[in-house]
Amino acid sequence: MTSIRRKLLVWLLGALLIAGMVAAWGVYRQARAELDEVFDYHLRQMALALRDRNFEGLIVDPAELTDEFDFVIQVWSRDGVRMYFSRPHTGLPNQARLGFDTVQTEAGLWRVFATQERGITIQVAQPMSVRNRLAATSAFNTLSPFLLLLPFLGLIVWFVVGRELRSLETVARAINVRTASALDPLPATALPEEVRPLVDALNDLLQRLARVLAVQRDFVADAAHELRTPLAALMLQIQLAERAASEPERTAAFAVVRSGLARATRVVEQLLTLARQSPDTAERVTEPVDLAALARLVVAERSALADANGVDLGVTGVDSLTIEGEPEGLRILLGNLIDNALRYAARAGRVDVSVRRDGDAALLEVIDDGPGIPAPERERVFDRFYRRPGSESPGSGLGLAIVSNIALRHRARITLDDAPEGTGLAVRVLFSGQK
Amino acid sequence: MRVLLVEDDPMIGESVHKGLQQDGFAVDWVRDGVSAEAAWRANPFDVMLLDLGLPRKDGLEVLRALRRAGQDLPVLVVTARDAVRDRVAGLDAGADDYLVKPFDLDELAARIRALLRRRGGRADPLMRHGDLALNPATKEVHRAGEPVALSPREFALLEALLDRPGAVLSRAQLEERIYGWGQEVESNAVEVHIHALRRKLGTDFIRNVRGVGYKV
Repeated sequence: MTSIRRKLLVWLLGALLIAGMVAAWGVYRQARAELDEVFDYHLRQMALALRDRNFEGLIVDPAELTDEFDFVIQVWSRDGVRMYFSRPHTGLPNQARLGFDTVQTEAGLWRVFATQERGITIQVAQPMSVRNRLAATSAFNTLSPFLLLLPFLGLIVWFVVGRELRSLETVARAINVRTASALDPLPATALPEEVRPLVDALNDLLQRLARVLAVQRDFVADAAHELRTPLAALMLQIQLAERAASEPERTAAFAVVRSGLARATRVVEQLLTLARQSPDTAERVTEPVDLAALARLVVAERSALADANGVDLGVTGVDSLTIEGEPEGLRILLGNLIDNALRYAARAGRVDVSVRRDGDAALLEVIDDGPGIPAPERERVFDRFYRRPGSESPGSGLGLAIVSNIALRHRARITLDDAPEGTGLAVRVLFSGQK
Repeated sequence: MRVLLVEDDPMIGESVHKGLQQDGFAVDWVRDGVSAEAAWRANPFDVMLLDLGLPRKDGLEVLRALRRAGQDLPVLVVTARDAVRDRVAGLDAGADDYLVKPFDLDELAARIRALLRRRGGRADPLMRHGDLALNPATKEVHRAGEPVALSPREFALLEALLDRPGAVLSRAQLEERIYGWGQEVESNAVEVHIHALRRKLGTDFIRNVRGVGYKV
C-alpha cells in the first residue's frame, strides 16, 4: 500500500535536504574562491615584506605566524644555502619556481609564493587544507539551519497532510454508511478541490446507477402489469372450459385456452427479448452482417405466416450492403417489423422489404399497405406496452420497443412515414456512418 | 339483469361476456371509453364493469363523466392496476367496487349480485316477495319452502320484477333487462315468459297494468 502522507514526507524532506546540500556546496565553492584570493594576496604581501629584512640571525616572532594560517617561510642565499626556515615542515619543496604555485607534497597540497631579491630567494608557503577547512566551516554554517529545521518540517508536513486527507476519510465514511439503494449524491461542499473530482465522478456514477435502477424497476412493474392481462384471460377461459357441459363445447373452450396460453407465452418471450436487447446491457459482440442476406432469411422465415394471413410478402430492392452489427439483434429487429406489417397489412395485401444504399448509410425498409399510423401517434408506438387504440390484434405492445432498443444499440435511426403509394406505413431504419 | 361490459382486450371481453351470460346476465360489450359513454347514455343498465386502461378515453374519465351526469349506475372497476393509490383513485372517482385482474368468474358474478343487492337497499341476499324467495346467486326460487323450476329467461324476468316491487315495468324495459345487444327478441317473448311464470306461480302473482306493463 502506498501512503500519500509517507510519500509526501519523504519527497518534501528529501528535496529540502538536497536543496540544503546544493546551497552548502555553492557556499563552499564561493568561500574557497574568495579565500584563495585573500590568502594569495597575504602570501605575496608577506614575501614582499620579508625582502627588506636582514636574514642573518633573523628570528621571526613565532606568534606572528599563528597556527591558524600555518605559514612556512624559507629563505635561501644566493648560493642556495637555506638561511632561514621558520618552521620545520616535512616534504616542502626546497626550491620552487618564482611566483605562485600549487605543489603536491606528502602532506597534501601547498600554496607557495616565491620571490627573489638581490640573490636571496624568499618563499612563503601555506597548506591548502587551511583554506579548505575555512570554506567547509562556512558551508556547514549554511547547512546547519536546514538540518536543525528538518525534524520540525517533517512534523508539520505529517500533520498538515494528515489533516487535509481527512476529507477523503469523510467521503469514505459517507459511502460506508449507505444502503445499497441509497443513490442520492454525496455532499460535495467544503471539499478540497483535489478530492472534488473524485466525489463528482462518484456522484455521476451514482446518478447513472439510479437511472438504470429506476428503468429496471419500471420495467419489472410494467412487465408484471402486462402479464396480468393475458393471465386474466387465461383464467377466465379455463373457468369457461370447466363449465362446459358437452364434449364439443369443452373442445372449443380448450382451443380458446390454448390461444390464451400462446398469447401469454408470447408476452413473456417478448419481455425477455426486450430485457436482453436493452441498450444498457453490456457485452455486445458485433460482426459484419450482410443486410441483403439477412432480409432474405427473415422474409423466408415469415413466408408461412404471410401465406396464412393471405399477404404477399417479398423482398424488392436489394443492394449488397454489409454493416457492423449483432446478427441476432438485427434478425429480431427485421422480424418484428415484418410481423407488425403482416398484422396490419390489408386483406390480400402486400408487404415489401428492401435494403438500399442511401449515400453513406444503409437503409432497411419495410412497407405495408395497411391503414398506416397517424403522424401524431408515430412517436408513441415505440413506448413499451403502448397499444394503438382500437387495434384488434392482441399484440404484446413490446415489438416496436424492442426494435427501438436494437436500433439504439446500432446507432441506427428509425422513421415512420406514409407508404409511397396509397395508405400504409413505411418503416425505415437508417444505419449511418458504419461502412 | 343487464350488464355493460367495457373491456378492450378481446380475449378477456369474450370470456367475461360468455361467462356472465351463462350466469344469466344480459351483457353488452363495448371496447373503448367513447363507446362506453354512448352506451350508458342510450340504454338503461343495472351495472357497469369498467376496465381502466381503455383506448380513446380512459376508464376513470368515463366513470367521472357518468357521475357528473348524475347517474347512480353501480360501477365495478375491473383492472390490472392494483396499487393502493389506483384503487383509491378508482373508488374516489365513483366506483362502487374494485376487482383486480386476474379474477375469478364466480367472484365477478358474486360482486355484481352484491352491487345489485345494495342498490336495491337490501341486505338480505335473497329477494323476497310474500312467500316467494329468489336467490340470485344460486338461481333458485322457492315458494313456501318448495322449489320452483324456472328457465333462465323466466328467472331473469322474475328477478327484474322483484328488484323493484310495486313498480310497473314496461315490456320494452323488461326486454332490455333480459336481453343483451344482438340477441334475437321475438315480438311476444315477454308475454310468453310472463305466461309461463304465472302458470308456475299463480295468475295473481304478476299483475298486468293494461297498456303500461307488469308489476309484482
